[in-house]
Amino acid sequence: MTSHFEYPSDREAASAAQVRALEKLLIEKGIIAAGTVDKVLGYFESEMTPLNGKKIVARAWSDAEFAQRLVSDTPAAIAELDLPIGMAGAEGEHLAAVANEPGVHNVVICTLCSCFPWPVLGLPPYWYKDPVFRARAAREPRAVLTELGVDLADDTEIRVWDVSGHSRWFVVPQRPAGTDGMSEAELAELVTTESMMGVALVETPARS
Amino acid sequence: MKLQHTLGGLEGLDDPIDFEKQVFVQEWEKRIFGIHTAMMGLSSSLRDSPGGYDIDGVPTTFDSRWTWGDLRAGAEAMNPFAYFQYRYYEKWLGGITAHLVASGYISQEELDDATARFREEPTAPLPDIENPAIDEQVIRYLRGGDSPRRGPATPRFAVGDTVTVRNPPAAEHTRLPGYLRGHDGVVERIFEGNYSYFFSTGADGLGEPVPVYLVRFDPATLWGAAAEAGSGPLYAELYESYLSPAATAPEGDSTS
Repeated sequence: MTSHFEYPSDREAASAAQVRALEKLLIEKGIIAAGTVDKVLGYFESEMTPLNGKKIVARAWSDAEFAQRLVSDTPAAIAELDLPIGMAGAEGEHLAAVANEPGVHNVVICTLCSCFPWPVLGLPPYWYKDPVFRARAAREPRAVLTELGVDLADDTEIRVWDVSGHSRWFVVPQRPAGTDGMSEAELAELVTTESMMGVALVETPARS
Repeated sequence: MKLQHTLGGLEGLDDPIDFEKQVFVQEWEKRIFGIHTAMMGLSSSLRDSPGGYDIDGVPTTFDSRWTWGDLRAGAEAMNPFAYFQYRYYEKWLGGITAHLVASGYISQEELDDATARFREEPTAPLPDIENPAIDEQVIRYLRGGDSPRRGPATPRFAVGDTVTVRNPPAAEHTRLPGYLRGHDGVVERIFEGNYSYFFSTGADGLGEPVPVYLVRFDPATLWGAAAEAGSGPLYAELYESYLSPAATAPEGDSTS
């Protein structure tokens, strides 16, 4: 039993060599090409990044009717914006949003794997896949949020979305106080991936 | 039951959460992500995609189905202790390697040889064989996706209905969070259209197009005394295959 928890000391070097061997063989055998993996990675580094989600939220904060449409018909609302081609692409085929509001806070989790709205937020960060997070957030979301630094009023209802069906969900956080008059571009900079999955609030910007 | 399907709500995990915000914690993880995603974009299952991909016209030697179900089945079929031993992309590496060897695309021997060589010379170059048509299909897939929506919704349940989550036999892969089994919830929303799953989960019930519901659960019914005081509802997106009418014995019950 304890052998299950022993890690070889060369764990990362072994994986690195194995994945490189795999890529080499797949290229040699004509399954993929020399540039394929780099092109995939480039797509997520340059186009499908959290910047898309930040712009979506900033628009919702700036346009109440858009904010309504973003929740009622998420794909159509997103299609209104000037975002990269592919917002309805891989892992964005059926996007869905829930909005935080006074007295209601939403947290999106996936206890089975790591379902994540790629076109909106890019690829999932490690915390989202952490077994401890996935286990605890389902049953004790308030304790988890407190641990992660999100202090909510006792009477704020926390809604947990354990969603691993066809849709890919994200949270529209609340606009922080002290941001009146800020442009959408300025607002977008305040938004984080964590706030769009509900494990962070968007903070009021420090006065400079 | 399988532990990896019943992670939600697991008690006794007092560990702090690893709030690691990086997507990849090792450079090699990027490569297995890229390989997986390329295989998704070259999957034979895309022949049936509403995306209209000309998969047969793509000059790849890959001629297999590779979907999320195939990847997830590899991880979920693991020994449960091993499942929690390995990091996320370590499971991907193991599952994808096993699939490629089992399908005959590569042999274990050539893989072992190549791995040994890269252990000695980690930065030895990769073959310089370009093939833009393969790359273009992969990017086309990333932009176009592969919607599982098939035909209009044919819901058996209505919004407001109380449903009981079924208890199908444990399969190598499922989309049913284990902690919901046997519990009652209320249909909050019915999604437009029916949805297939590109991987049959057998007696678990997924594969053919079915309606999908958003179902609302009361934490007190899910967790009993272990529920967090004053916690709000938990919502799950569930395929109709996992639901039966309430107030009757759950259909497909494997234990009664």
